[in-house]
Amino acid sequence: MSDRQAGAGQATLVIDGAEVAFEPGESLFEVSARVGKRLPSLCYDERLEAFGACRLCVVEVEGIRNPVASCTTLAADGMVVTTSSAEVEAWRKTLVEMVASENREVEVDPLRGHASQELSRLVARYDAVPGRFAGEPSGKSREDDGNPFLLRDYDLCISCYRCVRVCAEQQGDHAIGIANRGFETRITTEFDGELRDSACVFCGQCVQTCPTGALADRKAMRGVDVPGEIEKTRTICPYCGVGCSVDLMTKGDKLVGVQPAMDGPANKGALCVKGQFAFDFVQHEDRLAHPMVRNDDGELVRASWDEALDRAAKGFRGVVERHGRHAVYGVASGRAPHEAAYLMQKWIRTGFGTNFIDNCSRA
Amino acid sequence: MSRLDDNDLLERFRKLPAPLLPLLHAFHERDGLVSEEALEALSEGLHIPRAELYGTLTFYHHLSRIPGGQAAPRVCTGPICRYKGGPEILEALRKDGATPMPCAGRCDEPVPVLFGNEVRVGSSVPELLSRPSPLPVPNPGAVEECVFAEIREPDRASLVGYERTGGYEALRRCTAGLRPSELIDLVAESGLAGRGGAGFPTARKWSAVAEATGGPKTIVANADEGEPGCFKDRVLMDHDPHALIEGMCLAAHATGASRGFIYLRYEYPETLAILEKALDEARAAGHLGDRIHGSGFSFEIHLRRGAGAYICGEETSLLNSLEGKHPFPRNRPPFPVTHGYEGTPTAVNNVETLCSVAPIVRKGVEWYQSLGLAENAGTKLISLSGDIQRPGNYEVPLGLPLQTLLADWAGGPPEGRRIQAVTMAGLSGGFLAGADLDVDLDEPGIRSKGSFLGAGGIMVFDDSRDMVQVAHGAMEFFAEESCGKCFPCRIGTRRLAERLAQSHGPRDLATWQQEARELSVVMRATSACGLGQAAPLVVESLMKYFPEELEQSLVSGWSGGNDER
Amino acid sequence: MSNPLSDMELPNVMFCIGTNMTECHPVAATRLKKAKAKGAKLIVADPRRIRLAEHADLYLPLRVGSDVALLLAMAHVIVREGLVDGEFVATRTRDYEAFRDHVAEFTPEWASAICQVPAKDIALAARWFGEAAPGAIYYTLGITEHISGVDNVQSLSNLALMTGNLGKVGGGINPMRGQNNIQGAGDCGAIPSGFPGFQACDDPANVAKFSKAYGREIDCEKGITKVTALDLAGDKIHAMLIDGENTVVSDPDKGHCEKALRSLEHLVLIDIFETDTAKFADVVLPATAWAETDGVVTNTERRPQRLRAAVPAPGEARPDWWILAELAKRLEMPGFDYSGPDEIFNELCSLSPIYAGLDWDLVGTGAYQWPVPEKGHPGTPRLHETEFPNGRGIFKKILYRDPAEVVDDEYPIWLTTGRRLQTYHTNTQTGRSEGIDYFVPHEVLEVHPEDLTAWGLADGQLAFLESRRGGIEIRVEAHPRSPRGTVFSSFSFAATPINDLTGSGYDPVTQTAELKVCPVKIRPVAENEPVPSS
Repeated sequence: MSDRQAGAGQATLVIDGAEVAFEPGESLFEVSARVGKRLPSLCYDERLEAFGACRLCVVEVEGIRNPVASCTTLAADGMVVTTSSAEVEAWRKTLVEMVASENREVEVDPLRGHASQELSRLVARYDAVPGRFAGEPSGKSREDDGNPFLLRDYDLCISCYRCVRVCAEQQGDHAIGIANRGFETRITTEFDGELRDSACVFCGQCVQTCPTGALADRKAMRGVDVPGEIEKTRTICPYCGVGCSVDLMTKGDKLVGVQPAMDGPANKGALCVKGQFAFDFVQHEDRLAHPMVRNDDGELVRASWDEALDRAAKGFRGVVERHGRHAVYGVASGRAPHEAAYLMQKWIRTGFGTNFIDNCSRA
Repeated sequence: MSRLDDNDLLERFRKLPAPLLPLLHAFHERDGLVSEEALEALSEGLHIPRAELYGTLTFYHHLSRIPGGQAAPRVCTGPICRYKGGPEILEALRKDGATPMPCAGRCDEPVPVLFGNEVRVGSSVPELLSRPSPLPVPNPGAVEECVFAEIREPDRASLVGYERTGGYEALRRCTAGLRPSELIDLVAESGLAGRGGAGFPTARKWSAVAEATGGPKTIVANADEGEPGCFKDRVLMDHDPHALIEGMCLAAHATGASRGFIYLRYEYPETLAILEKALDEARAAGHLGDRIHGSGFSFEIHLRRGAGAYICGEETSLLNSLEGKHPFPRNRPPFPVTHGYEGTPTAVNNVETLCSVAPIVRKGVEWYQSLGLAENAGTKLISLSGDIQRPGNYEVPLGLPLQTLLADWAGGPPEGRRIQAVTMAGLSGGFLAGADLDVDLDEPGIRSKGSFLGAGGIMVFDDSRDMVQVAHGAMEFFAEESCGKCFPCRIGTRRLAERLAQSHGPRDLATWQQEARELSVVMRATSACGLGQAAPLVVESLMKYFPEELEQSLVSGWSGGNDER
Repeated sequence: MSNPLSDMELPNVMFCIGTNMTECHPVAATRLKKAKAKGAKLIVADPRRIRLAEHADLYLPLRVGSDVALLLAMAHVIVREGLVDGEFVATRTRDYEAFRDHVAEFTPEWASAICQVPAKDIALAARWFGEAAPGAIYYTLGITEHISGVDNVQSLSNLALMTGNLGKVGGGINPMRGQNNIQGAGDCGAIPSGFPGFQACDDPANVAKFSKAYGREIDCEKGITKVTALDLAGDKIHAMLIDGENTVVSDPDKGHCEKALRSLEHLVLIDIFETDTAKFADVVLPATAWAETDGVVTNTERRPQRLRAAVPAPGEARPDWWILAELAKRLEMPGFDYSGPDEIFNELCSLSPIYAGLDWDLVGTGAYQWPVPEKGHPGTPRLHETEFPNGRGIFKKILYRDPAEVVDDEYPIWLTTGRRLQTYHTNTQTGRSEGIDYFVPHEVLEVHPEDLTAWGLADGQLAFLESRRGGIEIRVEAHPRSPRGTVFSSFSFAATPINDLTGSGYDPVTQTAELKVCPVKIRPVAENEPVPSS
């Protein structure tokens, strides 16, 4: 949404001295972000219902005694809002230090998940001292859960419930819940068991929304010790036809993981177990690395490109000579990109003048 | 009666409003625990995802997941009972599987122990005995009362007794033609405000519900009296249950509500039976149900029992609990008056507030206003307990000096002792001590001392008590009862409790106070509901009134670490 | 899909038939779950009690292959109860009256006997869908992989037309595509009936256009389908070039398929692994894989999006386009000098009216859904908003037909096949991804627990499963989502080639195989008993 000038008749509010127009239903958090002031938060995920748990985004509103959580407060005509007074900033720093105090560590590897750096970034932003307010840690890691994909490192959990909410609201599976209360709160499954025995489908959305890396991508974490910086490349998932946008994470030449694109038009940050975790076939040792031709003993053996292409071309030429151009058939892939399918049909049509072309959609 | 199977139970409750709590209790009592199989049946029957249901179950204190857990004794170790034999009784009953419970609302005759659905009280195991909760003592100030005016009449708890002393006359006036708007005007003029702690004008709440669109509209009596040191609603319901029913009917008439709930705390099983009986009587007599008194007004009340969670006294947590959801407080706005139970306009009123309405209708606005002193209208129930000669419930005119209540009405501290401090609003208002004990019992007066009157629980601590230990117990309570939703409360209560116990945190007073102030300020400013906003008052008032004791404790080290968690 | 994926959060009635969406298109299914959370009603028709059925407000456990009967009866009820959108029918469709008269005899009671679904549930589904505003239809291969696949789709089309649910926000008729670029392969003209952009290849004008563009006279008649080509292998078809398909595992009637490939004189494969199909190849050419390839794919909602390479390919693997171009050059075909995929895609756009407004750079935004008829056009999220390709939507009179094979005394059990959540297709990719085997270590046949007992099988036991075409050894698993008398397996494990059994028949129009229906018999196998080869 673009910034708009306040037009006549449209509802406006004043935010840090500037008059801003807003749409009905917009929260103060959204209005603030729209005018370039993204307020700090740990429980906010724009895809989810505002929750109001972390209280980092509180702002002061004239005429209201206590500060309000900007994420759960709707903009109203004539509101006068102060987002970052010195007092509020001091509260935020204390809150960040309180949150940091409940965890084993704050700095975690970014391979853990898409949002895993949120807490450490806030600690840096507020120059907060994680050791202040030292006390008992709040979470308890579930090292016993042996599933290969989701690390449940709850020692790092800050009870923002984004995982619970993303599972309910985004994924619609309600596989995880909230056990106990207060500081004893734990993220749990039905009967506190392992994820495999729950309604979890391992879509990984909880991992990607976790702001501390408490839920982490076990497969990507295998790449923690791979040297190099993480680079991200936007592409599309290779599996079904929904066309989810993903970011490939690479270190050097190594594909180390996948993260969903929060702005992917088809998926808006969602993925399934395959798109999230089944990426490593690409660099599997079984990959064909060289052309192969069948030798006189009937075995496929390694060949150079020239040999293989010549052999392939010769075979087609021979068949046309013996049986005519209608003896050649082409099957394009539903998995390769357009350029492959387009050239396959062009190859058949240009080479043989037929429409003897199909793809694998019938299987 | 033969044992009902899962389907029988599900069939019995599934179609009723707010079915989860009664079903959980039904399984709990049938099996002695809430088993995994029961949860699976409930999940399927009520279409609540298993993980969510499991989590909700673990939120409540009293629903056991171990065999025999339902019947195992729970011993009150609340702020008063911990000094009146609670810990010793708990130890003695450990062999029977006893567990501690937070304040169970019997501070006037400690110590209550819950055996299944029976409360026994006594100061040691051999003395434990089941008996009705005490009536309020005759008003020693000879001041006119409102809600207690007829409570001591014989048979007041029965329909006959209630009607003999003016009961249901107010409702009859409504069904005979007093219009809802007239009723709301009358309550508005009286100045009646919420007696559960928030003090919101009752008439304004009702007219908001009356004006809200959508329905069916709902009245909820908040009888989840969970604040430590508060036991006033219990005595009202035990001895004057029809007053609550009539009050709810009047609220329904005023707002256009057709359904009501009484949300009663788990620890009051006898009250549950008393209310059930009263509701049956009221229905049979035509005071409740379809076409009340033959008029066009219909209203039904459903009794729901909580399961042990202080936060469910917070109205939006209560609504979530009723709806079978995880009992976190909701974000407001929207408020319950427009989006309450299942999204319908809902008035959530305290028991005392509701019980005040019929006398106001019957005896008039002027009469009610005249009950208060000076600028104040009406009365307030005070639950007084602790180190005081005559603990119990007192109905005081608003504006009564605290010292008058403590010394003249309740007989002062035990022989040879001096009152060191009192709590306000149960625990939520923190302490008053020293010169600040010279204060009038009304909201402006007490707020001027940095505290608040709230639900009216006052616990007295004499000079033999270690106030650091008392503060620690209070903070442990808040930490355990914090719902866990908002960060400042969830973390802050635990950190303050740890600092009071000196298990973590600085040992020099200045740094200690700096940290505690910082935590308190953030909790008070940013917590999402009253629990986290009020909890730091305990620490702030400790620092204010007892800095030397605090420093002494930091120097010598903590010795009171036998607290039950 | 006629409508965008985002519309899936908007219907107030969703009719899902023959789509195991939570497993096969899990991310699309999240949108249905959201719509449901907002109060939409969900109707699920599927022989198996799939996870989507657990979410359903109304579940119709129809017998495999009985979809047409169900849909005829729903149309009957919609007519009978006056729920037809008269204005839409009058202004946007034709041949309604004949259709209306046609469905008069197909009552829910009639359908109930075929579908084995209570007549009242059929009527209720019809009522809900008839009253929906809007109502949307979602389907997948459970509709198309039948000898009556085209009839099934036409029946769904009838339903959408009569209720006026086409061209509307939140409505539509929405097939879910199962592979990342199966839509794109069609868009690109890799079909025997059309050039790029679905321009009919038996239309002389189109033939002239492409003959000119490609510098080669092209036949003015449709080609043959892959199924026919395999049937004619060794007879009329003697050479094949196959890109990225593990034909012998994914195609029905494995024995037949292997025989066909074996009878070719020349088979060239382009793939990323040496698949089971490579056994029959003369030449295997290594292609770059996803994550190594720049290109374009089109998703199920007609949205072309960019693939981008992130890592280098192993060894000498090359992009498919490079391989095809080189092969073309060695056969002296003109027009294969490309500098990169962008040039190829832009050529496609220049020849395809549905891509005319796109180019390599524009498609990088992912913001367009075809048709994009000219530059500056915003794309077309919803089809048929004002008119249909033929002007008006045509009602078709469809009759119910039994599947190619039906259960009998010898083969008394229905076998149906499909995918599972964690294993994709023939598992060449998921099977090489670590951790997937934690969930699905090997193939199992899902059998209703009571059937296990009735058939003398124990949960987890090995069994021999046999159809008229072949038999395999497979482990059985008690699974309440299989109905009595119907069993399920995926086709993901080469070690358990379920497609040895399938292939009882093909749709006469599309030649899609009836992979969803195959009568079988089953018997226990002792763990060490030798299994007869099929």
